[in-house]
Amino acid sequence: MTIFHFFNCAILTFGPHAVYYSATPLSEYDTIGTSIKSALVYLITALVKLVCLATFLKVSESDSFDPYQELLKALIGFIDVAGIYFALTQLTHRNISQNHKFQAVGLGWAFADSVLHRLAPLWVGARGLEFTTEYILQGLEANANLVLSISLAALCSLMWLRKNKPKTLIPIIYTCAGIVATMPSVTSYMRRGLGWHFPEIVGFELFTSLIMAFISWQLFSACQRPSN
Amino acid sequence: MEKSRTSSSVLVEPVYSSVVALLIIVMACVELCDAVTVVDVYRLVQYDIGGVPFGSRLAALNHHAGSSFLSSSPAADLSRTVLILPVRELNLTFITEYIGQKKPLGGLLLLLPPIFSPQNIETEDGAAEYSAKDLLKEVLNELERLLVHANIPYPVYFGFEDEHVSTVLADIKKNDATGQPATATTGGYKLVVAAPEPRKIASPTIINIQGWLPGLRADGDSSQLPTIAVVASYDTFGAAPALSVGSDSNGSGVVALLEIARLFSMLYSNPKTRGRYNLLFALTSGGPYNYNGTHKWLRSLDQRVRETIDYAICLNTVASSGDDLWIHVSKPPENAYIKQIFEGFSTVSEELGIKVGLKHKKINISNSRVAWEHEQFSRLRVTAATLSKLSVAPDLLESTGGLSDNRHFTDEASISRSVKLVSESLARHIYGQEGKNIDIFADGSSLSVNPSYIRTWLRFLSTTPRVAPFLSKNDPLIMALKKELADHTVEVNVQQEVLDGMFTFYDSTSGKLHIYQVASVTFDLLLLLVLGSYLITLFSFLVITTRGLDDLISIFRRPTSRKAKTA
Repeated sequence: MTIFHFFNCAILTFGPHAVYYSATPLSEYDTIGTSIKSALVYLITALVKLVCLATFLKVSESDSFDPYQELLKALIGFIDVAGIYFALTQLTHRNISQNHKFQAVGLGWAFADSVLHRLAPLWVGARGLEFTTEYILQGLEANANLVLSISLAALCSLMWLRKNKPKTLIPIIYTCAGIVATMPSVTSYMRRGLGWHFPEIVGFELFTSLIMAFISWQLFSACQRPSN
Repeated sequence: MEKSRTSSSVLVEPVYSSVVALLIIVMACVELCDAVTVVDVYRLVQYDIGGVPFGSRLAALNHHAGSSFLSSSPAADLSRTVLILPVRELNLTFITEYIGQKKPLGGLLLLLPPIFSPQNIETEDGAAEYSAKDLLKEVLNELERLLVHANIPYPVYFGFEDEHVSTVLADIKKNDATGQPATATTGGYKLVVAAPEPRKIASPTIINIQGWLPGLRADGDSSQLPTIAVVASYDTFGAAPALSVGSDSNGSGVVALLEIARLFSMLYSNPKTRGRYNLLFALTSGGPYNYNGTHKWLRSLDQRVRETIDYAICLNTVASSGDDLWIHVSKPPENAYIKQIFEGFSTVSEELGIKVGLKHKKINISNSRVAWEHEQFSRLRVTAATLSKLSVAPDLLESTGGLSDNRHFTDEASISRSVKLVSESLARHIYGQEGKNIDIFADGSSLSVNPSYIRTWLRFLSTTPRVAPFLSKNDPLIMALKKELADHTVEVNVQQEVLDGMFTFYDSTSGKLHIYQVASVTFDLLLLLVLGSYLITLFSFLVITTRGLDDLISIFRRPTSRKAKTA
């Protein structure tokens, strides 16, 4: 039963990435190289973030919510954005359209995030005899994270790659990008400050990811109209 | 362009490989303890007598949990179920029938009330529960007798009721009430004890400890002084060897012997008060097995020493607490020596307000069964008697310190009384003061019986399981007893012998029980179905939104169109 459960949770966590790649035109244009490169950039970004966290953060004994520490964590979270900036603009990509570039970058980013944060606990924990719903919830969280990463990549590509944007939309774009970038701080505030349990947090993440995806889709199509 | 690409890849590679290596290391750390509960459990004894197997023959356990024999239909197959039965609510007839008819079972976990746990030795129960305790004691004795003399082909474990196990049991009972026993496809709880296959203990050793306190030899007196021996067997046997602490049988005898040794060592330390008798104290092993240790010890004694033994007093289960004490002899009561000994004891017992009776049991030389320790002396023509609160000789492997024999059922004040009885009687005989009105070990004097000494040693023995085959020569218990005797006597000898071949023991007496809450296979199948449909929906949704509905239809139509082409 246990390997079976591990298999189930694994396809819940990593399946959507594969499905996204194969279902959208990404597979037709063979953008796997871009995804792999953005995954590597994510790894480097994660290492840099770890070093910063270790240097600047104090280890607190209690599990309470400390605003100063959380603010520091949010600032360090912006390194994520810098990483995406690097992946989108600095790396050389094959000649693929902007539309597909942000999707490939977002996909690679989310896949690296899932592998790094969720594969090890899944392997060690889901194969035990004891039954918990934790790994199913973790898989749902990975799905929400995929949507969020793609929307963040979309907003970032709007910010840096598209030169002619309607003036009115620029502040909206930046605020949305800011919201998505600070999502981790918000969830940790909910876990510690408000005391929500894991299922409620996952529900919240799924909900907000869908909303942000919708908003960024609207913004992207709005920005696409002048150039067409 | 090319150079920048190679340089970036060179930078990325060590980072990537170290992360991969870290992931592999983490993957290698496999089995974490994620069980609901981990409980200490103690296995039923496994032994052979002359090749005939008894006790539980298996140690490893890995089955689903159930809660009663009647939970499902009578014909239900319980051979893959472990039954958790609290002893308080045990139905003895059912379990006797089940074991007697050798019905198959996956395993048995018997839960004892927490009062029997070695950790709870200090907690005091209210006097109001006394009758319930007695009833429980009866049930435990019956259960122990049943289990020890049966050959059970599945693992049987004893555990203690604590809050975790109780909640798990309540849950299992609720599930069983719906009528479906737990199996691999219906979920429930799984009990796992990871234990290796039990192996025979190759040469089980029995260790006898003797202490010699020499008497006062007058100058010019070349003849040997007579000797009085005080003997007690210290080892136990019970249904759960890791729980056999035997507070009364025979922890009380050991404690009494040590206290008597202490009192006489005080008397003998001063040459003016040293008696003209040698004193020989012996802590023997192998008691439950026809007093095998005593037999071997006597044969190892120098024959001259043995011939000087005037008589021997064996102490067995002396915490009488309101019961009478009995002196058991194998020589007929008309014998002069026996009369003398008994009169000495009676006089003292009248003064103390205890009633002592005399019981005579003839030895049958052809029968290898040795019911009392003094019979081993009698077989070598040494006068001996056993002081005990038991009026009837116990059967083989009975009253040997089992499950119900623990500190809460043992009265330390009665041990003090028994010590006073024996030491006063011996002292009056040694110093020739029989019949005289004298109180050598008077209360309040420097020679009084020390209740805290008795309490401390009784507490120590009540937390130490003492089944002989599992005690090695360097066991802390043996070392402690040896040191204590060395403090009170002049010369201490430790004798190590091999237990007679009739009894064979197997190891693996305790283990850790993991209780897991498992989900059924059907749950995972359902989950797989849901995930499959979710992924298919996601796929279709993405294809429709990014490529259009026609593309989706064309994915499914492509094979047919190709067929049309080839045709």
